[in-house]
Amino acid sequence: MPRAATTSDVFNAIAEPQRREILVLLRAGERPVTELARELGMTQPGASKHLRVLREVGLVRDRRAGKQRLYGLDARGLRPVHEWAGGFEKFWNESFDRLEAYVQDLEHARREEQR
Amino acid sequence: MSATADREVVVSRIIDAPRELVFEAFTEVRHLSQWWGPEGFTTTTRSFGFGVGAEWDFVMHGPDGTDYPEWITWTEITPPARIAMLHGESRDDPNAFVSVLTFEPDGPVGRATRIELRTVFATRGLRDEAVEKYHAIEGGRQTLGNLAAYVAGIAGRGGEG
Repeated sequence: MPRAATTSDVFNAIAEPQRREILVLLRAGERPVTELARELGMTQPGASKHLRVLREVGLVRDRRAGKQRLYGLDARGLRPVHEWAGGFEKFWNESFDRLEAYVQDLEHARREEQR
Repeated sequence: MSATADREVVVSRIIDAPRELVFEAFTEVRHLSQWWGPEGFTTTTRSFGFGVGAEWDFVMHGPDGTDYPEWITWTEITPPARIAMLHGESRDDPNAFVSVLTFEPDGPVGRATRIELRTVFATRGLRDEAVEKYHAIEGGRQTLGNLAAYVAGIAGRGGEG
């Protein structure tokens, strides 16, 4: 099934403000699309479209409950964001550790040269 | 700065060395290759230039053998105080992001350097979530650690369901 490149990963999926609103609402528990649409002031087809994107990237799961379909948060899908964000900070903290050791060695070496 | 404040994150450090020297460590590949990346990472440089518009094209090798293509172009250089760079995986990377490094004298006689990396994201999506909804800013200082804690919290709640 072809998918739009702009929504095919979790980072792009949560870059859209209305999709983040949906995730926030779903933190409180499962909801049918009609409720989500009403609370967010959007059309039901609009809400459905966002839910489809969120489901495709693994942030939302759905199940049938009687006559309606309920959508719930599956926040394990945010793990790539978590790992990336933590990794980014770690990258620079560890780089700065190495930078400090390196410039201190450099400083010592130059002092030695000047003697 | 206010135009981008809503999609910035900051990592900073005090380094016990003069800022001219800390700055110099960014200016030549023989320096950069000695410290760039986390412990255990090495780099292989394809081409390097240090100047506004010049590029650093390199591959970063992870300790597990993974290779990461990296590409940086310098967009502002003000020795020894400031370096701005566009950082991505390649020249045409649409997800490349701008980082600004600032170097300030620190300590009683300016013997140390406060280095700060301020990264500006292409969208403010990730930051908005933390700032507006969960008040993740602590003392006005936003870090990626806050965001990481926030998404970890979300992931934890999701796991309960």
